[in-house]
Amino acid sequence: MKRAGPSFEMRMMLPALLVLASLSLIPFVTLIVMSFSHVKLMGGIRFENAALENWHRLIEDADVRSSWVTSLVYFALTLGVEMASGIVFALVLHRVGRGRNLLLALAIVPMFMAPIVVGLLGRFLTDSTLGLYAWALRILGFEGDLLAGKTSALLTVIGMDVWEWTPLVALVTFAGLSAVPAPLVEAAAVDGAGYFQTLRYIVFPQIRRVLLVALLVRAMDAIRFFDIITITTNGGPADATKIIPVRLYETAFRFRELGYASVIGILMLAFSILMANAFVRVLGEKGLTR
Amino acid sequence: MRRSNSAALLVGLLALLVLVWTLAPVAWMVVSSFKPTPAIKTASPTWLFEPTLEHYRDLIGAGNDVRPFARNSLLAAGLSTALAVGLGALGGYGLAHWHHKSKKHLAFWIISTRMAPIAAVILPLFILFRQLGLIDSIAGLTLAYLSFNLPFAIWLMSAFFADVPPSLEEAARVDGCSRWQAFWYVVLPTTTPGLVTTGVLCLVFSWNDYAFASSFSGPGSQTLPMAAGRLITQGGVDWGQLTALGTIIVLPMIFAGLAVRRWLVTGLTMGAVTGE
Amino acid sequence: MDGSTPVSRRSLLHGMGALGALAYLPGCKGGSKESVGAATESVGDGWARYKGTTINFISENTPPSAAIAANLKPFEELTGIKVNISQMELTKLVEKVSLDFSSGQAGFHVIYADPYQVLAPFSEGLVDLTKFLDKKDFPALENGLSDFISTQLDAGGRFLDRQKLYALPYDTPTMIWHYRADLFEKHKDKMAHDLGFDPTPSIQLTWEQYYAIARWFDKNAKSEIPYGTGHQAKQHDALMCDFSNVLWAYGGDYFQAGPELGLVGTKKPGKSTLSGNEAIAAAEFYNKLLKLAHPGSRTWDWDGVASAFQAGQLAMCPNWHEFAASNEKALPGKVGYAPLPRGPKRSANIWGGTGVGINANASDKEQAAAWLFINWATSPATQFMTLASEKGGGTPTRRSVYARPDVEAAKKRPSQLPNILAAEAVNEAWKPENIGLRPKVATWNQLDTILFTQVSRMLAGEIKPDEAMRSSAEKFDVVNKV
Repeated sequence: MKRAGPSFEMRMMLPALLVLASLSLIPFVTLIVMSFSHVKLMGGIRFENAALENWHRLIEDADVRSSWVTSLVYFALTLGVEMASGIVFALVLHRVGRGRNLLLALAIVPMFMAPIVVGLLGRFLTDSTLGLYAWALRILGFEGDLLAGKTSALLTVIGMDVWEWTPLVALVTFAGLSAVPAPLVEAAAVDGAGYFQTLRYIVFPQIRRVLLVALLVRAMDAIRFFDIITITTNGGPADATKIIPVRLYETAFRFRELGYASVIGILMLAFSILMANAFVRVLGEKGLTR
Repeated sequence: MRRSNSAALLVGLLALLVLVWTLAPVAWMVVSSFKPTPAIKTASPTWLFEPTLEHYRDLIGAGNDVRPFARNSLLAAGLSTALAVGLGALGGYGLAHWHHKSKKHLAFWIISTRMAPIAAVILPLFILFRQLGLIDSIAGLTLAYLSFNLPFAIWLMSAFFADVPPSLEEAARVDGCSRWQAFWYVVLPTTTPGLVTTGVLCLVFSWNDYAFASSFSGPGSQTLPMAAGRLITQGGVDWGQLTALGTIIVLPMIFAGLAVRRWLVTGLTMGAVTGE
Repeated sequence: MDGSTPVSRRSLLHGMGALGALAYLPGCKGGSKESVGAATESVGDGWARYKGTTINFISENTPPSAAIAANLKPFEELTGIKVNISQMELTKLVEKVSLDFSSGQAGFHVIYADPYQVLAPFSEGLVDLTKFLDKKDFPALENGLSDFISTQLDAGGRFLDRQKLYALPYDTPTMIWHYRADLFEKHKDKMAHDLGFDPTPSIQLTWEQYYAIARWFDKNAKSEIPYGTGHQAKQHDALMCDFSNVLWAYGGDYFQAGPELGLVGTKKPGKSTLSGNEAIAAAEFYNKLLKLAHPGSRTWDWDGVASAFQAGQLAMCPNWHEFAASNEKALPGKVGYAPLPRGPKRSANIWGGTGVGINANASDKEQAAAWLFINWATSPATQFMTLASEKGGGTPTRRSVYARPDVEAAKKRPSQLPNILAAEAVNEAWKPENIGLRPKVATWNQLDTILFTQVSRMLAGEIKPDEAMRSSAEKFDVVNKV
């Protein structure tokens, strides 16, 4: 017998989907419309048709282009360092015998911290007059200020993000390591394989998918957040840390060019949709989305 | 035996290094929040000092009271968490059991809303909230947080529901339960860890938000992270109060997060990886 | 120059003259003698009509607002109006005010209206205050509008139209030379001998001499003071302020119309003159100076440089005079003040005063309550209170406050009003030939960002000084569509 109306599952989903639709589809359409408009805010919102003007402007805007380059460098370095150090963290913690659980619990503390606090704390530690890390660096012979140079400022804000999120990669990797069947590793040892050989040929193939998930989870958050940069350098020095979201925010709320900011926003969305696509494909292997 | 001994030593050293790198900043923040201001403002670190509560007292002092900020944070984060968990549990169950050829597309749409960059979302939401009068309101912040918490909750809960053996629900149905009853009395209770994990993570995400709050909140709805901005003053940055405030913002979330440590991996990967 | 806003050279000088004359008119107005508490009681009726109203005041985290936040009781008792004060960093304030004006409601009723970043771009969002000035049912402005220093009334309160007034002058920080008088005293003879001139900071010295003094400290007194000079050179509004002092000293400017744009402002500033030789010479010097400065400079705004100075890191720096109070707390008796050095053209000391205005989206009742608040907050008695406050001290915008005998007496140490210790230098800096006024144009937030970004790129070694100035000028012209 065929039941009339939506299935039970659909009825269960409906409230959530309606809320989600109103929170995502309406804004999405608004964003598209805004990108073709001059948005006037004072004395009532008005959208004046701008046709392709905002989009044309994007093509000629060297500043936005350089922000994309900065963003990609930031993105690649952040993810690269977080993955590498997260894996090392996990391998180390996994080898620890006693107190492993306590150690793991302590090591993941940073990722619960508000990024804004992480940024402020970073400023506090690297402040050239009273910072603990600045003091340690002075002892090592570095007299400058970390946030003053172009490269060092970029690396420092990356360092703050790495500090906060490496634990997440480590935690996920650790879970993957724990799931590698022990007999497999033991067999390799019997065959005379060294530690790094075992890692490379036995362990890594086993945890590849887990690492990919960790990478994707980090990737989507790395493009979402910009709090740390906002509170530390706000894009400087010399635009060295002006990643796309910082420029978007400035364009929209400091210069009030909401139409043009929407164009920048749409490109960011497109980028994140590519990430989402990859994520769903990886998850599909587990059958969750089938 | 020598080789394994030195290996253990190396592991121990590296583990120590990991811990120092991770915990030193947090520890320094907490310690500094108890230092008298002159002991903070020294070029080389002060290790010995007489601990003081003055910075914490100043945070609730006249003209500089952070309690309204804390209340707004609790309200906005709490409400959006409750809504996300409630709607997410229903939606997650539906998603886990819905077998339809467009399921993949639906799942993709849900996750892509979660991944949308905050800066891009703020723009249209600001316009909409302004039209609806939701600027400077707890309701507005709650909705804004829901925009990232709800898709997260649906996905995560659907992962937890997918792990519930179908036989459980079938047995309940054989006993005469309606589908809703089977869900409510049998299936849902088995996912309590999932509900708690989802709740805690949603709470952490929204409590820690700065970008939405700084765009949508007004004098009546500013949250704790907003309070930090007030402490960077022309009388110099008040690091004593800032570290105290940082500690207040951070500690509850650390405890909440560690409380669900067993399911953290599942939670943070939205079910893509199962933890211990 | 834009014809729609006729600001004649004479009216400019007239305003400036009145300002400069301040220094020479000791006690002419006979300041009111009453104490803070008494002042609020003494004013007549009309204060209590909006009892029970709540208003929100958004302010930069400046000393007068900190002082008022800590001492709101007299106002709340007088009027029965509840005031919430939100204080934040200036960049954040500009974003919040912009968002609030756009929201169509009035989240904030009283606005700290930075003349350049808030008043000029968003003047439509502010109430024309003249509608309250003559109303009989409101308490009158004590001593009238003429008690405000007239340049500041124009620069901080008006935009485009001289008949309209958008804000009452609330604070008036001005950048001057802060220096460690103790160290200068100690090394004076040796410095004079080594450098070949008297190093005592004064308006007679040049920026090149400032540079030489800073280098002398770096070479000869490293153990006492880590760096000779420090600057607010973060990629931030502060960098524009710090650079402008040098720009004007060397004879450069943002636009042809120059300082005249600083008073009533314009919507059409015309082509930028930043690519001129004077501006490039200024940029070259500034670049050279910053190579010598404390390496933290490129991460500091005004708060950062003040913290470093107060922590004993710098022998001298240019900064807002408002920091005198916190300087005195950190380094009692050790800090001296002078107008900034001169360049080939003049000494230029950027003025950073701000008024308080009312959000036009607010209801009539809220507007009225807000008017009572800004009347009170800028009254002589309140200004004296903030000046004397433990919280750091404001800087009065009214002549009558400066004329008080107790204020006059506070110019000498030990001073109960440490901000007044800088008064002599500030009075000199306020003279028409010395003051630095930014152009007041609606597109200033874009222009400001362009300038501090390009100068930041120059300091990072990415572009040469002449490129920095030329590309700034080009980008200015694009924004202003000329």
